[in-house]
Amino acid sequence: MTRFVFRALARVRLLLAIAVPSGLAVAAIALGSAAAAPGPIDVEKSVLDAQAERIAAIKKVFPAVVAVCMQGGQGVGSGVIITPDGYALTNFHVVQPTGPLMQAGLADGVLYDAVLVGTDKVGDVSLIKLLPKEKDKPFPFVKLGDSDKVRIGDWSLAMGNPFSLAMDFTPTVTYGIISGTNRYQPPEGKGLLEYTDCIQIETSINPGNSGGPLFNMQGELIGINGRGSFEKRGRVNSGVGYAISINQIKNFLGHMRAGIDTDHATLGATVGTASEDALLTQMVIKQVLEGSDAERRGLKEGDQLSSFAGRNLSSTNQYKNILGIFPKEWRVPLTLRRNNERRETLVRLMGNIATEKEPVKKELDTPAPPTPKLPVVLPKGGGTDAAKLYIPKKGYANWYFNELERDKLLAEVKKQGDFSTANGAWVAEGQYTMGERKGDFRFEIAENKDADTFVNLKLNIEHKLAPLKDTDHRLQAEPIGSGGLMLALYHWNRFLTLGAKGFEGGFAHGGTEPLYPFPVDGSAPKSLVDLRTDCAVIKTKHGSTECKWYFSLKDNSLIGFETYTDKEKEDPCEVYFSDYKAVEGKQLPHRIEVRFKDKRYAMLTVNKYTLAKK
Amino acid sequence: MTTRYGNWLLAALLAVPFTATPARAADPFNELAEKTNQKMVKVFGAGGFSRLNNYGTGIIISPDGHILTVASQLLDTSELVVHLYDGQRLKAQVLAVEPELDAAIIKIRLDGKKIEEPNGLKLDYFDFAEAAKRPHAETGDWVLALSNTFEIALRDEPLSLQRGVVMAYTKLAARRGVFEFPYTGEVYVVDAITNNPGAAGGALINRKGELLGVIGREIKNTLSDTWMNYAIPVTAKVDIKELVKDKDGKDQEKIVTETMLSFVTKGMKGEYKRVNRTTTAIGEGGYHGIVFVPNILDRTPAYVEDVVPGSPAAKAGFRPDDLVSFVDGEPIASINVFNTWIKKNTRSGQVLRVEVRRGEALQTIELTLGAHPAKTATPQPAPMPKTP
Repeated sequence: MTRFVFRALARVRLLLAIAVPSGLAVAAIALGSAAAAPGPIDVEKSVLDAQAERIAAIKKVFPAVVAVCMQGGQGVGSGVIITPDGYALTNFHVVQPTGPLMQAGLADGVLYDAVLVGTDKVGDVSLIKLLPKEKDKPFPFVKLGDSDKVRIGDWSLAMGNPFSLAMDFTPTVTYGIISGTNRYQPPEGKGLLEYTDCIQIETSINPGNSGGPLFNMQGELIGINGRGSFEKRGRVNSGVGYAISINQIKNFLGHMRAGIDTDHATLGATVGTASEDALLTQMVIKQVLEGSDAERRGLKEGDQLSSFAGRNLSSTNQYKNILGIFPKEWRVPLTLRRNNERRETLVRLMGNIATEKEPVKKELDTPAPPTPKLPVVLPKGGGTDAAKLYIPKKGYANWYFNELERDKLLAEVKKQGDFSTANGAWVAEGQYTMGERKGDFRFEIAENKDADTFVNLKLNIEHKLAPLKDTDHRLQAEPIGSGGLMLALYHWNRFLTLGAKGFEGGFAHGGTEPLYPFPVDGSAPKSLVDLRTDCAVIKTKHGSTECKWYFSLKDNSLIGFETYTDKEKEDPCEVYFSDYKAVEGKQLPHRIEVRFKDKRYAMLTVNKYTLAKK
Repeated sequence: MTTRYGNWLLAALLAVPFTATPARAADPFNELAEKTNQKMVKVFGAGGFSRLNNYGTGIIISPDGHILTVASQLLDTSELVVHLYDGQRLKAQVLAVEPELDAAIIKIRLDGKKIEEPNGLKLDYFDFAEAAKRPHAETGDWVLALSNTFEIALRDEPLSLQRGVVMAYTKLAARRGVFEFPYTGEVYVVDAITNNPGAAGGALINRKGELLGVIGREIKNTLSDTWMNYAIPVTAKVDIKELVKDKDGKDQEKIVTETMLSFVTKGMKGEYKRVNRTTTAIGEGGYHGIVFVPNILDRTPAYVEDVVPGSPAAKAGFRPDDLVSFVDGEPIASINVFNTWIKKNTRSGQVLRVEVRRGEALQTIELTLGAHPAKTATPQPAPMPKTP
């Protein structure tokens, strides 16, 4: 009976909606509700509960939804705030027209100034920061969900400002189900805006929804809406929309927070199906790029690629999906099969834009003018507080935020020990293990009487390096088989004692990357996937040597670093730190593992550090 | 907007057993989508040019891999391929086609097996006879749609899921291009945007996962000129005008009622015989009798080489060396464009305005299309499929 009433009502409303001109749609709604109101409709409690839950979920996240605007308030898209200090996600293609300074309207009706923080052009994501009207006043924000848990058939909520409809910035809410997960949508123009591993929704999204949030029914952010499939019906909702999965965005968030103009990755080898016509798909390595890490890791044409970053490969789309969620330079484990032999290896991914898409590079370098640190002419609105938070620099969306994140991280690191006074000779003593060999080790980093820095390393035999004089890559890579342990120790000492001053070639935050510390007992891990430890990275350059320093996101401790004597041609010397103990109030690692080319070179156990003052 | 609101309430109302607690994490759609996906295939066949997709969707209706789909140009190939839910890529063959039900039965053909012998596939399937027995869904009922809309899914990627409400159960009045749609029976009209490229042949199911209908094509409502979202119900029934000879040997029209169920039943056994009908169905186009120059290029210009004596083209006065330039105002860049246009937009009896370049001048010719002769001299080869 009830059901019948509702059906009849639904039909009437439908007619009303169609009959009235669109301008009068509001009136139609009012009529509809009025018709429904008088009847004592007995609605099941669970239905009301479900409705109440839905309303509660919407209410919770509604204030954090952003209407992204040009300066002056003209709407260009949507976004969502993810931290109380006003960091918000949107689409790259939304802030493309605004440039580095934009405005952002919230449901409270207030238009805030905002600045571009970081960008992921290939993934079509940008991070912006809203400036509070009162200093330090927190913004409403939403919680990031886990998009790997999203399943086909789940309900979802999309919010944003379609057609720039809301003049007061109150978001439009649409409700629908997840049509597909792990979808692949190829790039739109010049290799950018590639949607990998994305979420397909029937939840209505339209022009203006771009950059806006997709929520699960708990009000957790599971994606950023940005694209749809269009054909004959025009560029409005066609029942098929796509959201960039939040788990992909999480991989790039550290980079974006650090102001980086991030890039996606290629493997350094082409991968394809063994045969298009085969009953089941088999993904194989087709071609390996010369000089790539993939080549150095021994990937060969014809190798079957059975898993990538812990996920099984069953189709070309799936491969593109998995590859597409990683920033360049990340190391990912992959499993290869050759002649029935299974092998797992860590491959450093290559950049996407810079290498393979060289021709478009010029265009991508805009809008950052090439002259850094000079007063720049900003678009109108220059001189505002937001403009003070913008420093252009090549390779960065906004260098200001790189310095900010870098200095924040270094301040945390400094809490574990201030080494600036320990600027004299460093000596460490203990035992080494190299394969079957064991013995005492000692290393010393000091200046000789001519004020030349040298590194002395005694393992089974004595090695010596004068890092500033010995610029030959072969000498720098000694001891042979270590990839340059002495050079690495020298840079470590420099990093701790000198900080930014020690790296004239570059000293920048490198976003976040995983590090894979091996079991200290030397045992083979069950899977490399399990070793993953997420870290914040600092990238340094001194002389021709580049290093990457990995700080655990858990406690900001330096758990490892890589030293490249010859970045284009050779693997780095990998040093892993553990067993931190205080030495004169400074935390120092007492276990140091040295790895080179997929192998352990040595394990050092430190008994004693002597750090001298100058 | 108002409709949506109504639907929400309705949805909530019908969702009673499932929405009671936050245990909606155990949402029934997840399982339903997964199970239904296993009873469906992605179909790849002819097309891939001029807005004709070479991809579509199909519904498995027997454990041996009989598949129900729409009677589209997709099937005009000997290289028909399906992808199963688990990623298997298998060949398939057409068993029966009925344009006036817009339905076709194809069957998976395993290498080394004859099409009619048991193949041991043991697939999950919809029992079509059971489905056809159930009463049709009501206006206001909830439905889910699964299809390979926009060819988003390949191999083991699951089909796209949409949900909506039956807005109407009514006769279809629609057209495809400028041409009336051959199916005129009842359809489910739904409020979700289900009918996109590649969605045709997808399944419309109810909340129990029972098959309600076959998602149709991209067609426009003749009344409002808007895109339709519809499915042909499993209970579909159409009247086909059969051409029979009376006792004097004269052609007479006789109405034959055909149901989807009898089509499917006979089609699966390979016993479905299309009746001799008075009109040529969509898909073939009307007959003109123009013989073009050899079509060797992708864009061979539509030069007339000859006309079949006594054919509509001969009667209209086409001559060798005429260059067909426009048909009903549409520019004709090549023989392929002409053939495709004829196939898509015409039927027997239709009058076309053809502009040809003869010498230096453009000439307009009225061409009244006829029915295809029993045996066409040289059948057009099926276009090369792009089978992923």
